[in-house]
Amino acid sequence: MLMWKLAFRNIFRQRRRSILTALSMTGGYVLCVLSFSMTEGSYSNVIKIFTEDHTGDIQIHSEDYLTRPKIHKNIDDNAAVERVLNQSEFVRSYTKRVFSPGLAYAGNESTPVKIVGVDPDLESNTSRLADKVKQGVYFNNQPNDDGYFKAMIGVRAATSLQLNIGDELILISQGADGSIANDIYIIGAIVGSRSSWDSSTVYLPLNSAHDFLTLHGKSHQYALALNDSADVIAATQSIQAQLPAFSVSPWMVVEETFYKTMQADKEGNLFGLFIIVFIVFIGVLNTVLMSVLERTHEFGVLKAIGSRPATITVMILLETTLLAFLSVVVGILLAIPIIYWFANVGIAMPEPVDVGGIAFQHMKGEFSLQVFLLPMLFILSFAIVVAILPGIRAARVLPTEAMRG
Amino acid sequence: MVKIQRLVLPLIFLFPGALCAESVPNNSATDVIKLIDDMEELYRGDASKAEITMRVETPYYKRSMKMESINLGTEKAFIRILSPKKERGVSTLKIDKEMWNYLPKINKVIKVPPSLMMGSWMGSDFTNDDLVKQTTLTEEYNLELAETDDTYIIDLTPRAQTVTVWGRIEYTISKADRIPLSQGFYDDKGDLIRSLVFKDPKMFQGRLIPSVMEMIPLNKEGHKTVIVYDALDFSPSGVNDSIFSLRNLRKRF
Amino acid sequence: MMLTYKLALRNIFRNTRRTILTVMLIGFSLAALILADAVTSGMIKVMVESVTKTISGEAQIHKKGFRENLDIDLYLENSSTIEGQLAADDRVKAYSPRVIAAGMISSSYNVSSGAVYGVDGEQEATVSKLKEAIVEGEYLSDSPTEILIGRPMAELLEIGLGDRIVITLAEADTGELSQALFRVSGVFFFGMREFDENFVFVNIDKAREVVNIRNASHEIALLFHDSDISATDTQAVLSELNQGDIEALDWRSLFPEITSVLEMSGFSSVIIGSILFLLASLGVINSMFMSIYERIYEFGVAKAIGTKPRQLLQLILFEGFLIALISCAFGIAVGGSLGLYYEINGIPLGEFEFAGVALSNAIPTVLSINQFTHFPIYVILLTLTATLYPARFAAKIVPSEALQKSL
Repeated sequence: MLMWKLAFRNIFRQRRRSILTALSMTGGYVLCVLSFSMTEGSYSNVIKIFTEDHTGDIQIHSEDYLTRPKIHKNIDDNAAVERVLNQSEFVRSYTKRVFSPGLAYAGNESTPVKIVGVDPDLESNTSRLADKVKQGVYFNNQPNDDGYFKAMIGVRAATSLQLNIGDELILISQGADGSIANDIYIIGAIVGSRSSWDSSTVYLPLNSAHDFLTLHGKSHQYALALNDSADVIAATQSIQAQLPAFSVSPWMVVEETFYKTMQADKEGNLFGLFIIVFIVFIGVLNTVLMSVLERTHEFGVLKAIGSRPATITVMILLETTLLAFLSVVVGILLAIPIIYWFANVGIAMPEPVDVGGIAFQHMKGEFSLQVFLLPMLFILSFAIVVAILPGIRAARVLPTEAMRG
Repeated sequence: MVKIQRLVLPLIFLFPGALCAESVPNNSATDVIKLIDDMEELYRGDASKAEITMRVETPYYKRSMKMESINLGTEKAFIRILSPKKERGVSTLKIDKEMWNYLPKINKVIKVPPSLMMGSWMGSDFTNDDLVKQTTLTEEYNLELAETDDTYIIDLTPRAQTVTVWGRIEYTISKADRIPLSQGFYDDKGDLIRSLVFKDPKMFQGRLIPSVMEMIPLNKEGHKTVIVYDALDFSPSGVNDSIFSLRNLRKRF
Repeated sequence: MMLTYKLALRNIFRNTRRTILTVMLIGFSLAALILADAVTSGMIKVMVESVTKTISGEAQIHKKGFRENLDIDLYLENSSTIEGQLAADDRVKAYSPRVIAAGMISSSYNVSSGAVYGVDGEQEATVSKLKEAIVEGEYLSDSPTEILIGRPMAELLEIGLGDRIVITLAEADTGELSQALFRVSGVFFFGMREFDENFVFVNIDKAREVVNIRNASHEIALLFHDSDISATDTQAVLSELNQGDIEALDWRSLFPEITSVLEMSGFSSVIIGSILFLLASLGVINSMFMSIYERIYEFGVAKAIGTKPRQLLQLILFEGFLIALISCAFGIAVGGSLGLYYEINGIPLGEFEFAGVALSNAIPTVLSINQFTHFPIYVILLTLTATLYPARFAAKIVPSEALQKSL
């Protein structure tokens, strides 16, 4: 208790010096918090966007469909997969999809497209497809009165083919049995924007797509949305263990390039922060050394009356850490409103930036415990480290010499 | 797109007349060029109709299709799928180097664009390009003849400007029956990449012709296409130019 | 004046340890700034050059609308006229006309779709890095059957040097089937997926023959003498070319994502730099105060015997100035040597993809004069500013109070 009192008093003995030192630590802390919040937030934001938009948190495929897609690499046991997914505590919803490259014809125009078959209901629960309908109506898997199924088409493809709602679309592809897949669809909706990833995609209702491609009900992919995205690794392991015959991949694997880039960027950022804090603490070291040296006489007296060297070291450490802690508290107060603004408003970028294949439009911060906690631990550890040497120095003071000077 | 095989092949299976053992005087048989021309000569100017069953095997599916093929010379061909029901009525029209497909389900004629030319025809190990290629073997290849006791072996190497992916084609012909036995397609290193084997010779209207052709791509395991001639008619009735038209292609069948 | 200088110098070294720490504080900040700038410049340079110097050039000329779908029919018929203009223009460093067509690339073993680029070997080497990207075989030398293939595609097609390649595509205008035979004469590897997996290069005359366009091209890529793309001269060249149905754009318009990243990083560098120096200033102020406190008795005496406040102010400012100078020397030494080391060896950053550009090689830092002139000047100014507060304090010392304090 005495130690605490002493430490406190010592800090305020040299008010100006302590304040300046504290200010620099506060500044360092706030900078760390800002930077951390930015990177964590922006990336979390983007990850949320693409996993909700179409990737899902986890995807299930047969064999190596993810890296080398071939129409015959399909999931042949829907029942088993769906049983596991329905029972899993992690999974909120899932959807099934098939894919095939194809040619789309309308009138005299033709253009290559990516054909994606999705179950309309499952899909609207799991991804944002239903929200992306720009014109027309989100489809269902019922044929219209003339017996045609509805298709949804991306903007670029729609423009190339000059298609409007209600027009006929002809699709040609190759079936899983080698036959020429061909059929007519009616355009029910136009989805997305010109630059969205699905601008050259045609969406078909799953059942119709299965027939079109002669897949006999087998799909290429299950995409899962989890109850809590943070569980993605645990969920992957759990599901993979129950479905050893298939490949269960978390979004980090699905969007590998993005993930690697993100990791590299985060590491670089951390390194930069380290340097900044390092520099701040050179200044702190200066302060601590100064304050120790000007109290040499005092330490000499303390030792003469019987204080253990360790006690002195601890006192120095305590002082520095306490000062650092106070600085952090001030820093937290300053940072809270800023981070709050960041997390909710953020900075909009003029042009979406492509990072590892995913488009970033907003830099949003993250408002969370770790954003405030980690830099605090950072600063406190640095404070302790910086105070050790002067502390030991102080403890080694020889009473006789000290009191003489 | 789908991984496919390219094959530059004298369009023998579409032009069954080529397989005919003609009445060529045996004495001048060793002349290579004449030998090949004999193999192909008959279909120049001839018309023919054939009924064919084609079986395609891959590690992922097995299919069997029945089709009808009408030919006029080497330039014109009209093939119509008869079964299975899903593909009944799908037709292919070839005139010179151009090809069209008719798809009855959508009632549309699609001209096969260059990007699909190297694609497989009907999912088989033959490509659209094979069906279209007018390889005049004697003009575009250098020929060398070797003989064994019962076969002629013709070595075909493409000329410098011949556009083909094959480094060498080996054509084996039976001496006794004057019918082809096999064709081997080699890359530049001399590895056999695919092989076409002729089997089961039968008499069709007095001509001995191998009724089965098996095409095996050796660099893809589990793939095979087998073509069986169920019937061949060398003097078909009603074969004229009007059959080989887009209008006819579109006509309801 | 001289006296002030001598005094300042002596004062600084009175407490060497503190001076060293202060110098380190400022010096490391400067070094950090230099390095951060160097790394960012390096990354930017790599990103920009991967776009401009690898294949795309600093600007490109097309027929309007070509870039939408790469329609083979939208070719520049008067390509030779434009090329003549470019050759005569001394603002243009190099140009290369290209024929571009999508087609199927077949080998004896497999087939793949790809983009066929017909280029003039010599001219292309002045604009792009194709020649340096060759890892096997030889570069183009005007023989009609030569073709250069990217390593990933060569693996897919299972081919090596000398193997046959048949290219199948649709001619311009008629859309008729056209095929041609080539022999693999070289394999390239740019390290950029998009190019290595999809592009093949042949001689432009052969390409024109296969596509059936005489003397025309689909794209002309340019490099300028002035590497600053926003220079008025360069922009003038582009606006002269931008007429009628011809479009001439610089890389910033062709690749807006990269431009956006550049702006962003410039912006954030400024912010981080300012904050860093602000923090360092706090340390400087602290340090100067400490040194004043130690000498408060001395200052009391000085003032008592008649030293003017302004002189004390000058003294402290001078001390600050000297410290700043020494710190700059230290900072430049550290920052410069690390920067130089990494300029040669590159900073290993692992695999990365920014704005569609894969950066998997070590990034060389870029040192520039700015870093060694502007930054130190900022440092000196900042240090001086930071010293003002303590200096004023020193000037305002009341002798009677000061003389009572003893340290």
